[in-house]
Formats: sequence, structure tokens, C-alpha cells
Amino acid sequence: MTTRATRGPRRRTVVALAVILTVLATFVVRLVDIQVVSADEHVADSLTHLGAGSTIPGQRGSIVDAGGTVLASSVMVYDAQLSPQVIMLLEDKDPDLPWAEASEKIAAVTGQTGDEVRTIVADALALDSESQYAPLKKSLTTEQYIQLRDLKLKYLHFEARETRVYPNGAVAGNILGFLDNTGTAQAGIEEMEESCLAPVDGEESYRTGKDGIVIPGSERLVEAVNGGTVQLTINSDLNWYLQQMIAEEAQAQGAKGGTVTVVEVKTGKIRAAAEWPAMDPNDLDSSTPETRYSQIFHKDFEPGSTFKAITAAAAIEGAGLTPWSTASASSRETFPNGAVINDSFTHPEFNYTLAGALIDSSNVALSKFGTTVSPEVRYDYLQRFGVGEKTLGFPSEVAGLLHPVSEWDNQSLYTTTFGQYFSVTSPQLAGAYQAIANGGEKIDLSLIESCTGADGTVVTPDAPAHEQVVTEQTAAQLTRMLENVAVQGGNADRIQVPGYRVTSKTGTAQVSDGNGGYKEGVYYTSMVGFAPVDDPQYVVVVTLDEPTKVVSSAATASAFQKAMTQVMKTYRVMPSTVPMDELLPKFG
Amino acid sequence: MSLNATVRQPALPIEPARAPQRRLQPVTRPAARRKPKLAYALIALGGALAIGAAQIALSLAITQDSFALAALSSQQNELNLRTHALQEELTGLSSPQVLASGAAGLGMVVAGSPSYLRLSDGAVFGTGTGADWNSTVDPQGSGAVGNVLVTSPPVDAPVTEDSTTDQTTQELPPSITDGLPSPTTH
Repeated sequence: MTTRATRGPRRRTVVALAVILTVLATFVVRLVDIQVVSADEHVADSLTHLGAGSTIPGQRGSIVDAGGTVLASSVMVYDAQLSPQVIMLLEDKDPDLPWAEASEKIAAVTGQTGDEVRTIVADALALDSESQYAPLKKSLTTEQYIQLRDLKLKYLHFEARETRVYPNGAVAGNILGFLDNTGTAQAGIEEMEESCLAPVDGEESYRTGKDGIVIPGSERLVEAVNGGTVQLTINSDLNWYLQQMIAEEAQAQGAKGGTVTVVEVKTGKIRAAAEWPAMDPNDLDSSTPETRYSQIFHKDFEPGSTFKAITAAAAIEGAGLTPWSTASASSRETFPNGAVINDSFTHPEFNYTLAGALIDSSNVALSKFGTTVSPEVRYDYLQRFGVGEKTLGFPSEVAGLLHPVSEWDNQSLYTTTFGQYFSVTSPQLAGAYQAIANGGEKIDLSLIESCTGADGTVVTPDAPAHEQVVTEQTAAQLTRMLENVAVQGGNADRIQVPGYRVTSKTGTAQVSDGNGGYKEGVYYTSMVGFAPVDDPQYVVVVTLDEPTKVVSSAATASAFQKAMTQVMKTYRVMPSTVPMDELLPKFG
Repeated sequence: MSLNATVRQPALPIEPARAPQRRLQPVTRPAARRKPKLAYALIALGGALAIGAAQIALSLAITQDSFALAALSSQQNELNLRTHALQEELTGLSSPQVLASGAAGLGMVVAGSPSYLRLSDGAVFGTGTGADWNSTVDPQGSGAVGNVLVTSPPVDAPVTEDSTTDQTTQELPPSITDGLPSPTTH
């Protein structure tokens, strides 16, 4: 029982306890506030003062050809710099290796002279007597870096830098593209496949104490992910040969440029894309704005006579014509709507068959055959064969130009039958003939085989679209007529590939002079064909830009023959065993 | 106390054995200490030292691996550097331009269509003619495909000199007279 004696001290105890508890409660509330309620703010705040780190750069992926040959890869180069202040400080202390001798040794490795090295340092010191930075040389190779590093000079520092090297030089250089000096892809496959090639940088982060000392256990490492390897469908050895060949042919014909495109008939894969002038991506300084882009994808032209085959396809399917259907044509005719059409050579009035019109490449005859179907039908066939639509989505690829039927005037109603008033690129031309060669089934062109990630996962692009644009019978008739063009046409002797049956068709297009008219006397010449006829495997398109020695498309004949021979040889294609069907009559 | 309490008292024993007279005395000096046993001290101290030594040895063992790891990874970095340096020397040497100009220097040509021999029945396809000596391209000519990585000039061995020196310096394999027994087949 509480007595008066015990009540006093007990009250004091209770009061004291209450005070202590209050203080404790305040602390608990404050703790909860700091630790739970505004925890994130405080953590973020701390990291600004404690956190430190650096990015770990990943390596850009490489580009290989269909056979695995490396066409583009990333290597490390080193930029060397000197610290003039440290050199002077060490000189005062009479080192074992005085600066005069050291500079000679450095110069021997970098390829400069000792005087140059000493001048660099002297100039830096003249500008600022306490200079700590004088750039010595950029882009040293790994071998040079190792040799300089083994000199063990305290004033020589290195910075590693990733750069791109193209081991095969200008082979497929225009297709590969290049990087600018910040490492951003500028053209070609480098740009097109950026998502596959680009690395993901890693990060190394840690917390530091007040003096900058790393707090143990706080290191965090996110590994860098290197870029993947892109495999192209291009065969680099074939590409080299065709580049060499077209460069010689274009120069022999006095042309401004030339291209060769090879497409595999059964798959639509582009096996070679050769052009001249070519760009060596290792040597951007000597490239011009024209060579930096691929002429093959970037330049469109009016195809001319090569698209007479598509007009014939429209006439065969739309109006039921056959290779023996006839139409009479003289070398210059005026049509009912006032249009005037000429042939490329003068001849008396002939009763051309459809085959003969293609063999002699008569514009007048094709105008008559072409207008047996309506312009809408011909427009539809041109679209089906790929005119006006980009083939691949290659960087800076042009889609060509196809005017809608409402814009066709009296003249262009007829000129569209022989490949004028619309423009195409070489790949579009190759794609159109791929459809003819493949029994009428057009397969979209492709350039990328696969993308292999750094962890080994292989990603193949979506299968290209297949579309039956003409029936098999129509394709067979077109093929037969085109083989007759190769055998009976004007270039027959020059394009013969021994052992193989080939088809071919020439095209001569006028070149715009930039003022709405056409240049006189020079043409953009092309020749397209596929082989072997009994089982077509490859389509070859050869173009020459404004040849001067032989101005017509006959200029491309020898280039076409060499290209087709080499393609057949490269892929070991079985020579033709089935003899040609009997020759089609030119006149009926 | 009531009268009952005194009545209930049991009879006290007469002359109980007397306990020895206890004399209380103040403490003048502390009690004599016992001599400490040496063994216990040695065991305690030895144990403490052993623990310390064990800790040091364990931490040495743990960190030994990290030293080895550091040495090996620096060795690997060094070897990687040397590999890159050697690979860089090879860049460009495997390009088709070098091969073609080397081949052209040896007198080889890029010829036309080959012929094909089907082994199952010996049928020959293609033209059946041999290659002529005109190359369809000239890798050392004006149309040469450029490659700035190819710095050294291509191998250009003169044909006649090589063939004669080869014959004189080449060691012919030893001729087999009647040494090795071989089965006779019909």
C-alpha cells in the first residue's frame, strides 16, 4: 500500500519516465520520417555527392559477306600525347634517358622525325610554359602503341579509341557505307543495320567517401553488350571481279560510270552490287559526294527498251497476243492522236511479229502492240513488276517515278510502251526480270542474310514477299522471246557465253540535261539478261552512264558477257544441255 | 506472551555440546593468494595467438586468389594486345586485290567459261575448249579496285627464274628400289 513516504519519489519516477518516453517518441517519429517516408529523396541526394562512375563502351559489330569474309570491323587505335611540363621537370633532374634521345626513339616508332617531336613540345611550351598537353600523333596502331608503351616514359599518355576498318577496301564499299568521325553511320549497310550493329554501353558505378576513396562493396558493374554481326547476301569475291571488270569497261568506253547488279532468281538475293567509281570506306578523304552513295540504289533512269518485255507481258495476258502476232511498223509513224514515234534505225515498213519487235527493238511496233490493252492495264503491269516502289529500303534509295494514267498525254501513251515517261533503278530492273525468270513469281529483293547477336542468337529478316505477277506460260513465252533477242539480235556475237543459253535485252535511255530537255548524243545504256534459259539461276543488269566510244547500248555488250560468264563460273552452274527451241520468226 | 506459550515450550537439553567460542576479529591484511598455474596462462595466451594467426592465414588464403586473378588478367590483356597487333598486320593481306595482283604477277589469268566433267559417267559439259591467255580483267591495270590498307607492293615473282631455282634446290624424295614390300594386285 502506498504510504505518504513512498508517494513522492514514485511521482518523480513517473514524471521522469514520461519525459523520457516523450523524447523517445519524438526520435522514433523522426526516424520513421527519414527512413520510410522521404527515403527516396535522401538516397537520391546522397548519390549526387557520393556516386561516381564511368561508362564501359561496347564494341560495334562487324559486317561479313555471304561466305563469312569480314567486310567491316571495329579496331582500337591509340592517340598519343605528351606532357611538356613533366618532360621539363624530368630534364632538370638529369634522367637516364634524356629528352633528345627519347624523342628520337619516339619518332622512330611513330614515323615522324625527332625534330618534329621536339618541335611539338617546344611549340606547346612557347604557348604556355606550364603546358601539360601536347598531342603527339593520332590513330597509332596497336603495334606502335606496344612499342611506345614499352619505352616506359612517364610523360607519354595514350587514349584508346574505336575506329572502323574495312579489310577488303573498296570491294562493296558503296554498299557498306561509312561512319563519320563521331562514329555515327552515314550511309549503306552501316546505317541500314544500325540496330543490329550498335553496341549497348555498360556502366561501372561506385560510391566514394569524402576523400574520393571508393567505399568497398559499393561497386556495381553492368557489362557492355557488343554489337551483332550482320551477314550480307553479297559474294565479295564476285563483287571484286565485277567491280574490276566494270571499271575497265567503263573507262574503255569513255563512260562516266558503270554498275553491275546480280540477283539470284530463285531467292531474290542480291549476290553482287558492283559499281564504278567506287568508294574505299577506309579512305573517305578521296571520296566525292557522288561516290559516297551507291549509284545502284540512288540513281534512277528511264529504262527504255528493257521494259518492252513488260509491255509484251501485258499484251499477251491482256489481249491474248502470242509471239507470232503481227503488226506493221515503219521507222517513223504518226499516230491517230498526234503522237510521233521513231525507231532507233531506219527501215522500210515491216510486218513485225511480237518476237521480231523485241529482237529489232522497234518502238513503233511496240506502240502498236502495247495499245492493244488499255493504259490502266499497262499501268497495273508496270506496278506489278515493281516500278515506282523501293526494293529494299536501302539508305538514300530512290523509288523511281511512275506517273498515274491521268497524267499520260498523247505522246506518253505510246512512249510508256517502250520504257519512257517512267524511271526505275537497276535493282528494280533486276527484280522485274527476276519475275520473268522465276516462272512469273516475283520475289522481293534482299541484301541481309542474318544478324547474329553478341550472345550468339541469330535473327533472320522476315521472308521476302512472293507474288505471281504473270502466269507461268506467259513467263515461258517471254523467256523464249528474250532468248531469241540474245541469239538473233544485233549484239548476238558479243554476248555469247560459251556453254550456256542466255537471254538479254538492251535499253537505251535519254539523259535529262537538267533544264527539262534531254542531252544530245549520249545515253544511259543498260543490258539485262538471265541464264541459263533451261533453268534460270541468275539475273545480271549492266549499266553504263553515257559511254562515248560506242554511244548505244551495244557498249554494254562485252561487260555483260564477262559478267554473265563470271557469275556462271562462280556458282558452278550446270551448262545448258537442252538445246534451244526453233528460232521465232521476226516477220509474219 | 501468554502463559500457554511458556507451557508449550519443549524442555531444553541440559548441557548441549558447546560450539567453539568464535572470536570475531577485524581483517588486518588480505588473505594469501594462491600461486597461479602456468599451464592455464600459456593455454589462454596460446589460444589467443592461434586465433590471430588463423585469421591472418585465412585472409591471406582468400586474397591470394585475387592476386593470382589480377596477374592472370593483366597477362591476358597483354596477350590480347599482341593478338590485335598481329591481326592488324594481316588486315588487307587477305583482300581479293592482293590475291589477284599476286596471281597476275605470277602470270595467271582470269579465263572464260570452264568445262565440267560429270564423274558418274564421264560426260563433259560446257564448251570443252581450253583457256586462252587473255585475262578478262587486269588486276594491276587502270581499273584496279582500291584498298588503302594494302601498303606493300604485291608479290611479283618473275616466272622463269623461280622455276629453274626450284628445280635445283628441290629435294627429290628417295627412290624405292626393292625396300618396301608391297602386295601384288591383279
